[in-house]
Amino acid sequence: MLSLIVFLPIIAGLIILAVPSSQKQIIRIVSLLAALAQGVLAVLIWKGYDPALPGITAGPGGSPLGSFQFVEKIPWITLNLGSFGPLNIEYFIGVDGISITMVILTALVSAIGVLSSWTIQKQVKGYFILYNILAAAMMGCFVSLDFFLFYVFWEIMLLPMYFLIGIWGGPNREYAAIKFFLYTLFGSVFMLLVMIGLYFSVLDPVTGNHTFSLVAMATQSNFIKDAILGPDNVMWRYVAFIVLFIGFAIKVPMFPFHTWLPDAHVEAPTPISVILAGVLLKLGTYGMIRINFPIFPEVFQASLFVIGIFGAINIIYGALCALAQKDLKKMVAYSSISHMGYVLLGLSAGNSEGMVGALYQMFNHGTITAMLFLLVGVIYDRAHTRHIEKFGGLASYMPVYAAFVTVAWFASLGLPGLSGFISEALVFVGAFSSVTTRYIAMVAVLGIVFGAAYLLWSLQRMFLGQRRPDAAYDLVAGEDGHEHIHFHDWKGKIDLDGRELAMLVPLMLITIFLGVYPMPVLGMLTSSINKLVEVLSPVILPQL
Amino acid sequence: MHSLIQLSIVVLLLPLLSFVILIFFNRRLPRRGDFVGVGILGTAFGISAYIFWQVIVQSYDPAFRVAWDFTWINLGNVPGVGPLQIRMGVVIDNLTSIMLAMVTLISLLVHLYSTGYMAGDKNYGRYFAFLGIFTFSMLGIVLSDNLFSIYIFWELVGLSSYLLIGFFFEKESAADAQKKAFLANRVGDIGMWLGILILYSQFHTFSFAEIYAKLAAGEFGLSNAWLTAAGILLFMGCVGKSAQFPLHIWLPDAMEGPTPVSALIHAATMVAAGVYFVARIFVLLTPDALHVIAFIGASTAFMAATIAITQNDIKRVLAYSTVSQLGYMVLGLGVGAYSAALFHLVTHAFFKACLFLGSGAIIHAMHHEQDMRWMGGLRKNMPWTFATFTLATLALAGLPLTSGFLSKDAILAGAIGFAQVEGGGIYYLIPVLGFFSAMLTAFYMGRQIWLVFFGESRTHLKPAETHHAAHHAHDSHDSHTDLHHAEHQVHEVSWNMRAPLVILAALSVFFVYSPDPLDGGKGWFMKMIPTPATVVGQANPQKGSLIAAATATQLAGAVPEAVVGHAAAGELPNAASSHGQATSAHTYSDLRQAEIVHAGHAAHYTAIYISSVMVLLGIGLALVVYVFNIIDPEKTALAIRPLYLFSLNKWYWDEIYQATFIKGSMVLATTLSWFDTHIVDGMVNGVATLVRKFAFFNDSFDRHVVDGAVNFTAFTVNTIGAMLRKLQTGKVQTYIVMLILAVFGYFVFYFTRLIY
Repeated sequence: MLSLIVFLPIIAGLIILAVPSSQKQIIRIVSLLAALAQGVLAVLIWKGYDPALPGITAGPGGSPLGSFQFVEKIPWITLNLGSFGPLNIEYFIGVDGISITMVILTALVSAIGVLSSWTIQKQVKGYFILYNILAAAMMGCFVSLDFFLFYVFWEIMLLPMYFLIGIWGGPNREYAAIKFFLYTLFGSVFMLLVMIGLYFSVLDPVTGNHTFSLVAMATQSNFIKDAILGPDNVMWRYVAFIVLFIGFAIKVPMFPFHTWLPDAHVEAPTPISVILAGVLLKLGTYGMIRINFPIFPEVFQASLFVIGIFGAINIIYGALCALAQKDLKKMVAYSSISHMGYVLLGLSAGNSEGMVGALYQMFNHGTITAMLFLLVGVIYDRAHTRHIEKFGGLASYMPVYAAFVTVAWFASLGLPGLSGFISEALVFVGAFSSVTTRYIAMVAVLGIVFGAAYLLWSLQRMFLGQRRPDAAYDLVAGEDGHEHIHFHDWKGKIDLDGRELAMLVPLMLITIFLGVYPMPVLGMLTSSINKLVEVLSPVILPQL
Repeated sequence: MHSLIQLSIVVLLLPLLSFVILIFFNRRLPRRGDFVGVGILGTAFGISAYIFWQVIVQSYDPAFRVAWDFTWINLGNVPGVGPLQIRMGVVIDNLTSIMLAMVTLISLLVHLYSTGYMAGDKNYGRYFAFLGIFTFSMLGIVLSDNLFSIYIFWELVGLSSYLLIGFFFEKESAADAQKKAFLANRVGDIGMWLGILILYSQFHTFSFAEIYAKLAAGEFGLSNAWLTAAGILLFMGCVGKSAQFPLHIWLPDAMEGPTPVSALIHAATMVAAGVYFVARIFVLLTPDALHVIAFIGASTAFMAATIAITQNDIKRVLAYSTVSQLGYMVLGLGVGAYSAALFHLVTHAFFKACLFLGSGAIIHAMHHEQDMRWMGGLRKNMPWTFATFTLATLALAGLPLTSGFLSKDAILAGAIGFAQVEGGGIYYLIPVLGFFSAMLTAFYMGRQIWLVFFGESRTHLKPAETHHAAHHAHDSHDSHTDLHHAEHQVHEVSWNMRAPLVILAALSVFFVYSPDPLDGGKGWFMKMIPTPATVVGQANPQKGSLIAAATATQLAGAVPEAVVGHAAAGELPNAASSHGQATSAHTYSDLRQAEIVHAGHAAHYTAIYISSVMVLLGIGLALVVYVFNIIDPEKTALAIRPLYLFSLNKWYWDEIYQATFIKGSMVLATTLSWFDTHIVDGMVNGVATLVRKFAFFNDSFDRHVVDGAVNFTAFTVNTIGAMLRKLQTGKVQTYIVMLILAVFGYFVFYFTRLIY
C-alpha cells in the first residue's frame, strides 16, 4: 500500500513519457488521476491506521511491527565489504502518527498542485514528468524508515525542484534555482557523513548487523558503546547532532539559513510555491523529529534553549520582514518563515503539548500556506503583478476572491475557529509550560501581533478602500450603471473560476473543520508524540 | 445534561445559524433575509428569557450554578502529567443568565432597529450575517466555563468587531479603524494569553473551577509575583477589549462602523466583555493586581471624561463616555465592589445602547450629519427620540430615579470604602477621580442634549465644502437618502427604530432593578450577584483556606455572612488581628474583601451626597454655558487653549503611538528587511562569490599547476621518447650490434659479481 502511494506518480510519469508532448490535456489528466489515486490511497491508509500504536521506536522484540504500521521491509542492497562486514541497505518503509499526517498532507497538496499546474503552457510534458518525480520523492521521504532510503529520496527531490524553478520560474529563476539547489545540497552532504557514522555505530538488535534503520537508531541501547557516534563519544555526538540539525534547518528554513526561500518563492510558478511551502519545508522539521532528535536525545535536551531561541527569531524576524515587503508573494514567503518558527518553538518545548502543537502546525501550515500561494497566484495571473500597492479596493469588484483571501489571511494570523489557531496555541502552551523555554515563549507571543499587522495591512492596501490611481487594473462603466473591473489582457472570469474554487474550497473546508474539531489529526498524533517525548525525556537518559 | 444547559447551547448556536444562512443565501432571500436574523434572535431572546426566569426568578439562589463540559482535545497519556484533556463546557449561574438575557435582548433590538437604519445598503444581507456571528461569539464568552474557550470567543468577537467597523470598507478611515481595533485588541490579547499560560503551566487545565480549586488548595508552584502577574496579564485582555487606558485608542475610531453596531458591540456588549471577564477571574486576583486594576479604571474614567467634553461628533462623545463608564466598571472591580461593577455593566448596557440608537436615529434623520455643532432644535421634530435620549442621559449622568444612579453610586461607595480600608493616602485618588468624572459626565451629556435638541437648527451654519465631503463619504452607504438631503427635512424615525429606543429607555429606570430608588443593594441584582470569596491569600497564596476552596468551586460563592457581620460590629481598625485569631479558617484576603464590602455599605450615603453634588455641578455648568450663555464656550476654549487642545486632540495618544510603536515597528521592519537582503543574504551570496573565486583560482591552478604537471610529465615522456626513438632505427644490423652489446654487458656484470 505504501509503496503504491509512493510510486504511483512515477508510474504516471512513465505513462506521460509515452504520451506525445502535443497531447497536453492527456498529460494533465494522467497526472491528476495519479494524484487523486494517491489521495484515495491516503484516505485508505488513514482509515486503516490504528492511532493506538505509537511508532517512533521498535515494537516488542525489536521488530518495527506492533509499533509502525503498513510496514514493508525487504533487503535492497547487500554487499560484502570484506573486513567492514556486510553492507545492508533495506527498502524499509512504514508509518506512525508523525508520518501519516505528513503523508495525508502530501497527497492533498500534490493533488492541489496538479490542478494549479493546469495553466502551465510551456513544455507541459517535461513539467509534469518532473512534477510527478517530485511528488513521489516527497512521499518517499515521509515513509522511509531506512536512513539510506530517506537520503536517496531526499536527494531525488532536489533535482526536479531545481528544474521546475529553473525552467518554469520567473525572470530571475536561474539564480533562485541554483541557490535552492546548492543550499540544500550543502545540508545533505553533512547528512551523508552523519549517516555513515551512524551506520557504523548502530547494530540491528534482531540480526546483529550494522544497519541504516531509523527504528533501530531511535533506541539508544542499539548503539555500540565506543563507536564513533556511540554513547561514549560525547563530542562527536554533539558535532553530528549540530551538522544534521543544520542540514534540516536549511530546509525549514531556519534563520540564518532562510534566504533561499523568498527567492525561490518569488521565482517559482504558483504550483511549485504551493508544493514548496506546503510540503517541502515540512521535511526539515520532519527530519528533525524522525532522525535528529530520537537519535541524539541527550544533545536534544541540551539544546532546547538554543532551538527555542531560533524558533522565536524565526517567528518575530519573519513577521517583521513580512511587514516590510511590497511583493505579496515575498510577504507570504516570509510569513512561512514566521510560521515555521512556531514549529521550532513547539519542538523546543520538549513536552507533549508543544510537540503536538508543532506537528499540527506543520499540517495546518501546509494547508493554509497552500491557500495563500494559490490566492497570490490568482491575482498574479490576472494582473501580472504582485505589488501590494498596485491594487486597492478589490473587495468591491472581486467579492468572492476577497472573501477567500480574508478567510485565508485570518487563518494565517491564527484566528480561533480556524486550524492555525489551535496549533499555535498548543505550541505556546507547551513552550510556556517548559521551564527552559518559558521566557522565549513570552517574547515569541509578540509574533501574534506582528503577524496580524502585516496580514491586515496587506489586506487593507489591496482589498479595502478605493482603487489606487496607479492600480494594475482598470474600471469600466458597465451597462447596469456599476463600475466593473478589467485586467488588460485577462480573458477568463474576473472573480474566481471553477478550477480555482476546486483548489481553494477543499483547503478552506479543511482549515475550518480542523479549527473547530482538531481530533481527526491530533488523534493520530498523540500516542506517537507521547512516545517520542518519552524517548526524548531526560528521565530515561541517565540509563544510557 | 441539565435542560438549561441544552437550552443555552441552542441559544449559542442560533445566531451562528443566522450567520451561516445569511452569509451564503442572503441574495436569494426576500428582503435579503433580514427577517431571518430578527426571527432567530427573537427566538434566542425568548429562550434566554426563559433561562433568566428559571434561574433568577424561580431559583433566586445566589449560589445557583449548573455546568457541563466535554472533551475537545484529548492529548492521551502525556509523560509527566498523565491523561491530559482540553475540555470545553458551558456554565450557567446568575451572572450568565443575566448576561444571556441582556445580550440577546440588545442584539434583538439592534437587529430590529437595523432593518430601518440600514435599509437600502448594498450589503444589507451581509450586515445581518455579521451581526449574527458577533452575537454568537459574545454568547460564547458569556457561557464559557474555561479560559481557553473564553479566549477563542474573545478573538472571534474581535473578528466580528473588525468586520463590522469596516463595514463601509470603501472608506479609507473605516479600513484604518478596523485594523486599529483588531491590532489594539491583539496587544491586549497576548497579555491575556500569557496570563492563561501562567495558570495552565501550573495546573494543566483551563477550567475556571479546577484552577480555583487548585489555587485554593495551594498547588500554585510559582511565587506570589507570578500570580499577581497572571492577574494583571489576564486583565490586559480587558484593557484591550474594554478600551481601558492605554489601549483605549481604538474605541472612538470604531465609530466608523454603522451606528447600530456601535450600540451593540462598542457600547453595550463586547466592550463590556472585558469587565465580565475580570469578574470571572476576580477570585484569583491578588490585592496587588486589584490595585493596578483600580488605578487603570479610575484613570481611564477620568481621562475619557475630559476628552468627551470637547468632542463635536455626537458619536465620539458617546464613545468617550463609554470608555469612561467602562473605566468605572473596572474601577469597581479593582476596589472590590464586584456586584456594583457588574450592576453598572448591565444598567450601562441598556442606557448606552439607548443613547447610541438614539444618536443613530438623529444621524439617520439628519442625513448622516454627525457634528453636533450643526444640529439643534431636534426636540420638536423628534419627540420620541428626544424623550428616550433624555431619559438615558439622566441615567448616564447618574441622577436619582434612574438605573445609572443605583449602580454608579454603588461603585463610588465601594471606592470610598476601599480607600478607607487600604488606609487612605494615594488610594483616595480613586474615589476622587470617580467623583470628578461623574461631574464631567453630567457636563458633557448636558452639553450634548442642549446642542442636539434645544435651541434652533444650525444646519445652515455648516461650511459648504465640509458638508459636501461628509455626504460624499457616505454616498456608498445608502444613496437613496441623498435624494432628499437637499431639503433637510427632519422626521421622527419609523416604528422599528422607535420601539427599541422605548424598550431600552424603560430599562433605564430604577424600579427594574431595585424597589428603593436610592439603594441598589436592596434590589435583586446585587443579591443575586454576591461578591465571591477570593482563592488567594495575601500573605501566602500557596495556602488558601479550606472554606475558600469550597466556595471557589462554586465560582460565585457569597462572602461568608459571619465575616461581614463581624466586621460590621465596629472593630475595623484591629479587625485583621482579631480575625486572624478568632476565625483562622479565613485568610486575610477574605477579610479584606469583607471589610471593603462593609465600608462600602457604610459609605453609601456619603457617596450619594457627594455624587449628587457633583452631578448637579456638572449639569449646572452645562446650563450656565449652553443655556444661559453666561460663559461663552469658545472664549473659554481660547483662554485655556492648551488644555482645550489637549482634550480636543484626545491627550495626543494617537500621535504618541504613531510616533513610537507604529513608526518604531515599521522602522524595525524595514531595517530587518534590509538586513535580510543585504547582510544575511549578502553573506550567502558572499560565500557563493568566494567559492566561485576559489573555483576560478582553482581552475587556473588546475590549468597551470595540475595540468601543468600533467603536461610536464607528458613533455618529459615525449622528450625522452624522442631521444629513445633515435635508437629505434629499424635496421637489423643495429639491433644485432645492440644485442651483442647487451649480452656482452651482461657477461661483464656477471663475471664482476663472481669475482667480488
